[in-house]
Parts: sequence; C-alpha cells; structure tokens
Amino acid sequence: MYKKSLLLILFLTFCILSKVHADKNVFNIDVSLDRDTIGMDEQAVLQIIVSGDSQNLPTPHIPTFSMFDIETRGRSSNFSYNNGVVETSVTYNYLLLPKRPGTFPIDQISAVYNNKRYKGNKLNLTVLQDGTTVSNDLTKRAVNASGKSKDYFLEAIVDNKNPYVNEQITLTLKFYISVQFYGQPELTEPTTTGFWTELIGNKTPYSQRINNRQYKIIERKYALFPTQIGELEIGRAMIRTTVQSKRQSRRRTSLFGGLFGGGEEVSIRSNLVKIKVKPLPQNGKPDDFSGTIGRFTISSSVNKKTIEANQPLSVTIKISGKGNIKSVAEPKMPKLDEQFRIYKASTSENISKAGNKIGGTKIFEEVFIPKRPGDIEIPAITYNYFDPASKRYKHIATKPIKLKVTKPEGYVASGDVPYTAPNLTISSNARDIQYIKENIGKTQPIGHLVLHDPLYIFVNTVPLLIFAGMIAVRVRKEKFAGDVGLARSKAALREAKRRLTKAKSIAHTNSAAEFYVEIYAAVTSFIADKMNISPHGLTIDSIKTLLTEKNAEPELISQIEELLKHSDFARYASSSMTQENINADLDKAQNIMVDMSGVSFE
Amino acid sequence: MFTYILIFVSTVSAQTSLFKEGNKQYEQKEYAKAIESYKQILNNNIESAALYFNLGNAYFKNGDLGHAVLYYMKAKRLAPDDSAIRHNLEFAQRFSSVQMEGVELNPVTSFLASLVDSYKLSFLAWTTSFVFIFFMFTLILRFGMGYNISIVRVGIVVTLLFLLVTSGLTTFKYRYEYLTKRAVIIAEDSTVYTGASEQSDVELEAAPGLIVEILSESSDFYNVLFENKRRGWIKKGLIAEF
Repeated sequence: MYKKSLLLILFLTFCILSKVHADKNVFNIDVSLDRDTIGMDEQAVLQIIVSGDSQNLPTPHIPTFSMFDIETRGRSSNFSYNNGVVETSVTYNYLLLPKRPGTFPIDQISAVYNNKRYKGNKLNLTVLQDGTTVSNDLTKRAVNASGKSKDYFLEAIVDNKNPYVNEQITLTLKFYISVQFYGQPELTEPTTTGFWTELIGNKTPYSQRINNRQYKIIERKYALFPTQIGELEIGRAMIRTTVQSKRQSRRRTSLFGGLFGGGEEVSIRSNLVKIKVKPLPQNGKPDDFSGTIGRFTISSSVNKKTIEANQPLSVTIKISGKGNIKSVAEPKMPKLDEQFRIYKASTSENISKAGNKIGGTKIFEEVFIPKRPGDIEIPAITYNYFDPASKRYKHIATKPIKLKVTKPEGYVASGDVPYTAPNLTISSNARDIQYIKENIGKTQPIGHLVLHDPLYIFVNTVPLLIFAGMIAVRVRKEKFAGDVGLARSKAALREAKRRLTKAKSIAHTNSAAEFYVEIYAAVTSFIADKMNISPHGLTIDSIKTLLTEKNAEPELISQIEELLKHSDFARYASSSMTQENINADLDKAQNIMVDMSGVSFE
Repeated sequence: MFTYILIFVSTVSAQTSLFKEGNKQYEQKEYAKAIESYKQILNNNIESAALYFNLGNAYFKNGDLGHAVLYYMKAKRLAPDDSAIRHNLEFAQRFSSVQMEGVELNPVTSFLASLVDSYKLSFLAWTTSFVFIFFMFTLILRFGMGYNISIVRVGIVVTLLFLLVTSGLTTFKYRYEYLTKRAVIIAEDSTVYTGASEQSDVELEAAPGLIVEILSESSDFYNVLFENKRRGWIKKGLIAEF
C-alpha cells in the first residue's frame, strides 16, 4: 500500500515537474550529413536530431527531394532528467541515393508543435558526375612525386579557415589507406595552441575510390574554438601503424607471408592548417555582451507561481543552442532589490555534439525570496550573443513571470529584516540565515581546550594516585605479613622512638626506675627487632658481639655498653639518680638511636 | 584580589559592549563595521559560539561566503548542538558555486562522526573523566581494599566498557576536529594545481565555502584534500584554517 502510494506521489511529482517545464517547449532540429560530396555511385547519410525539453517531441517532416531516393535507416531516442529538467532527443537516419549530378540544398526539414513550425538548418550536398567524389586537390594529394598513387596518407581539413574568435570550426583528420595494415593505428593528436578543443569523435570507417584505387578512410573530428585573434596554426597530426611491406605484398601467394613475414612500421604526418581568426564586429555590440558566439535560445521557469512572503522560490533560467556552451555566462538579473532577495543556487550544463557542432544547454538555478506580499512580476531576463551565420549580435529574452505572493500568518512589514513569526523566533525552516544572537554567551580564551585545563588534568590524576597509593600500602602490608623479620626491622626505629617518647614523659626523679626500664628496653628492642631475635636473651656482652659483627663503630658500641650498664644500675638504685643524670641519659639514648640508624643490620 | 576582579569585570563589560555595538551595526546593515566590532573582541583573545555565529552572519550578508563558512565552522566547534549555527552553515554552503560531487565517506568514520557530532569535546572529556573516576573507585575497592565480591567485579567490567566507549569517542572527536587540520576556501579565484607551483597543471577551480583537509605544505602552498577525495596544491593565502 505504502509502496503504491509512494510510486503514485513520485509519478504525480514527475508529471507536475514535466508540466511546469513543458510550458516552454523549446525544440531544436539539427540536420547533418556524413559527407558533403558524393559520387553518383555513392550514398550519403542524412541525420536529423530533434531535441527539446518535452517528452512528446514532434516527428520531423522530410520534404520530397527530386534528385535523391530516400531510404530510412531507423531512429533512436535519448532521455535524461537533470536538475528537474527533462531533456529528450530523437535521432532519425536516412540514406540519400543520388539520381543526378549537381549541388542540391537539403532544407525545409521542419517539425510542427502547437501550431508552430520549427525549422532545421540548411545544408548542401554535391553529387559528382563521373562517379567519384574525389576533388582535384585530393586526386593530387593521393599521388606521390614520381606520379604513383600513395598507399596511405593523412589529411587535415577544416570547414572554415576564417572564423570569428570563439566561433566553432570543425577539424577533420582523414586517414586514407589502400594497403593492408595490422593492429590499431596509433594517433598523435595535432597541436591546437590558441584553440579550446573538444573532441567530437570517430566516424565509422568507410571506403572511397581515388585514382582508380580503393582506399579505406578512418575519420576523426574535433571542434575548435579560437580563443585569440590573428593567424593561428593547427599542427601536424601523426599516425603510426604497421602496414604490409612491399616485399611481402609481392609474395602474396605465400601461405605464411601474411602471418610470419612481419610488417613495415610507418609514420604518416598530416598537413599544416593555417587559420585566420577575425575579431567580432564592434558595430552593434551590446554593452553587456559576454563573448558568447553561436545560436541560442533562453527560457525561464519557476517551481510555483503562488508563494508566501519570505519563502524560497526556485527560478530556473535555461540557455540552449549551438556554440561553446561553457562560455555562456550567467544572464544579468534585472534590479529586483525591492521585491526579492536573490541567491545563486547552482549552475549545470549538458554538452551535445549533434551534427558535428558543439552545443547544449546551460541551466542557472537561482533562489528568489519575495520580501512582501502582493502581485509581483519577474521581468524578462535578457542575454546577448553573436550569431556568426548572420554576422549580427542577437538579443534574446525570457517571458516575464507573474507571481502571487501571499501574506503569511502574523506578517509584519519590516524592510529587509527577515520575516519574524509572531512568537518572535525565526523558524528553523526559514530559507534565510537565522538572525544574529543577542548575547555573547559563554566566552573563553581563544583555543582553550579542556584536555589542557589544569583542573581536568588534576581531576584525572587524583584517582590514579589514590589507587597507586592504596595498591602500594596493600603490597607493603602483604610483604610484611609474609616476612616477620622485615616487619620488625622496618618497625624497629618507630618502636624505639615510642619508648624514648614514653621515657621522656616520665623523665623525673620520682619515676627514675621506670624511666631507665624504658631506656634499656628501647635500646635492646631496637637491636633485637633489627636482627629479628628475641630481646629477652640479649645481654650487654651479646649485644657487643652482635654490634661488632655488624661492623658498628667501637665508640658507638662503648656508648651503648655504658648506657645499658648505667640503666641496669639505675633500675635498682633509682634514688641515687638526679634529674641531671636522667636528662643526660635521655640525650645519650636519643643520640645512640640516631647513630644506630646508620648501622647495617642486614 | 580586588584588582583582579575589577580587571575581569571591566574586560567582560568591554567585550559585551563591543558585541552589542556589532549587533547594532548589523541591524543597520553596516556589515563591514559589524565585522570590525566583532573582530575587536577576537583581538582580545576572547571567543564564543555566539561571537563566531554573528561574524559568520555579517560576512554572509557582506557577500563573503568563504569567511561566513569559516566562522560558522568555528561556532559549530564551540556549540555543536546549536540548531541556528547548523542551519546557517548548511544554508551558506549551498551557495558555493562548486558543489562537491562523488563524496564517498568512510562508513566507520561517518558513523563515529555522527555519534559525536552533536557533542562538545568538553562534554565528552568530562563524561570520560566521570567514568574514569568511577572505574578507579571500583579498582580501589577490589585491589586497594580487597573487596573481592561479585558486585565490585561486575562494576569493574561495566565501568571499563563505558570507559572504553567514552574515551574512544573523545579521542575520535579530538583527532577528527582538532588534530586534523581543516580549512575553508576564502578566495573567489582559487585555482588548485597538481604541484606546489603556479606553473603546474590546473587540477580544478575551487570556490569559496568549500572545506578542505590540509595534508602537507611546501613553501607558499598547501596540499589539500577535498571532500570528494580530489587533491591538489593551493596557495596558502587562499584558504583559512579553523
């Protein structure tokens, strides 16, 4: 169901779009011949291309040509849809068989649509009497200095040696060969300095009789647009190919000659062609002439004729015809500041090479935004070009388009300020830039980046440090838990200091015994913890031995011995201890602890 | 301290009055003057999304499409979720006389870009920090304090996954929008050559408003990559980095 609806919508959209553009119905009829000269026993192909922006192109009317028999050779059609524009072309091919010699016009080919007749271009076809199409010039060129006919030669011909600047001339390279050749001939293109060049293409090879010799002809055409005035030169083209050697052709009966005898590689150069480019006439040259040369038509269309103020309107301007379509400039817009804001949307072009002439269509799309409601007209949009056929400047113009611009809800007339809806907020769908912001908002130093912000770095570093610290504590705990000796050794100084602090707090004569017990315990416990032994079995002598083994200073050992003996004595004769003794011993104990920290007990 | 506060307050006040002056000039259609006022704020090393947005508008109205796109891009970087900035950027880019055709984006890059497009780098970075702190907290519980229970283990896995996603997106945003050098074509005549010299062949004719990636540089030229993957050399003065 949805799929069908979608298809229906697409179909209707397509029909509407086709209808919008069908209003213009611009047609072109291009008539061309594959050759302009044929012999009585030859034939020419007449090609008629009808192109336009409608799907229903009219069939061309072919007049009766009394001097030719005409045979139809079929038709082909081409359809394209580009930027909303339908482009259709139908090609009709006919074979012209001459009845008598002479030069005959091929004209009056036309098509009728909506009671209007569209005419094709006029051509001439020459039919030669003696059954050969060969001109005297070509006959001479086909003969070498010794009077013998050439096996092969390359000819460069242009259709106009005196064009206007930027007018198309057609360069034709013809490779004539009457001997067998192998592989694909390799072409070096001619130099075309001073021209804008577009390749038209290769023609299907055909045969021609020159000086009673049959030649195969390979033809390639170029469109050249001279970009400067004066004498220009088209350089020589060159073809390299392998042909049957003379020696080999004499042994034509040899079974293997053609296969294994090998060919002869030859290089064939074309003639130079000189072109004299003339300037465009100054007489009648419009002020806004942009340099376009050819034959063109112009049309315009809109996607809708009724529209709300401040809503976008798509205006399509189309310039079609023959000539260098790339040089077609944007048409100058009439002054419409009061009625519209105008924006350039897009430009596209289709290039055609029908009838060996470069042409096509250039489409300019503009967005028109009507400023106010009312009946508004888009006036005629004009364009100028130079027509080399009539040698005159031509002025073409579109038809004016009438628009009905309606008033949107809540409309307030306000100069060029974009339309503001009643709630004072610009619609996000409005086809204009949204209005400036009133407040500067949150500011920061230019180039400020959160990743470089010290606060950001700090916030991210702290949890990492906490985690690392807790892991370290945990590892340390686990290490101590598995190694009692290490734990005692690490805690030794802390424990000794704790005892000394306690001793200091009771360092007065009333508690002298208790004071010396702490001093004694502080020293012995420190040594026992450092060496992971029990403090209970430690005597002064054993301490002396242990310290000596650990390479302690003899002076330190004697100080320790003296302090321990004195403490031992004081525990039992505390009443004899004065406050000075107690203070002095506390200092000694503290110094000893400091000195013992430097002893390596490991 | 009081002096610093006084200086700060007076600086903010000066920027605000310049901004208001620019807005007034814009309303009076004096777009060139409005541009000057807005740029004075930038000269004081101050930026904001609204400032860039208004500058873009003034350039657009003044007919300078390249600079309009440049400042809209700068505004979008500071406030990617602002619909007005997005609208005006898209609107302006439609007016470039050359439209990029055949743009083929890497699907992975496109997907990631669409994910982070609406978010500021600061938002993504702080979200990542938050997840990181939570992740570290679960690690401390598990390994620092030894809570080997299922809720902690699940917490570690879940927060790790979140952390990988947020940090990945933050890294992508940083690389895509800050480390990759991008520029806008600002000159009307901007020829792109096949080599770093004006004697080289012409690769293409660019147009104001097109965005390019700067790949390398050589003397007066940048080697640039267009969105449709065509590349070439362009004179440094014809583009502006954002």
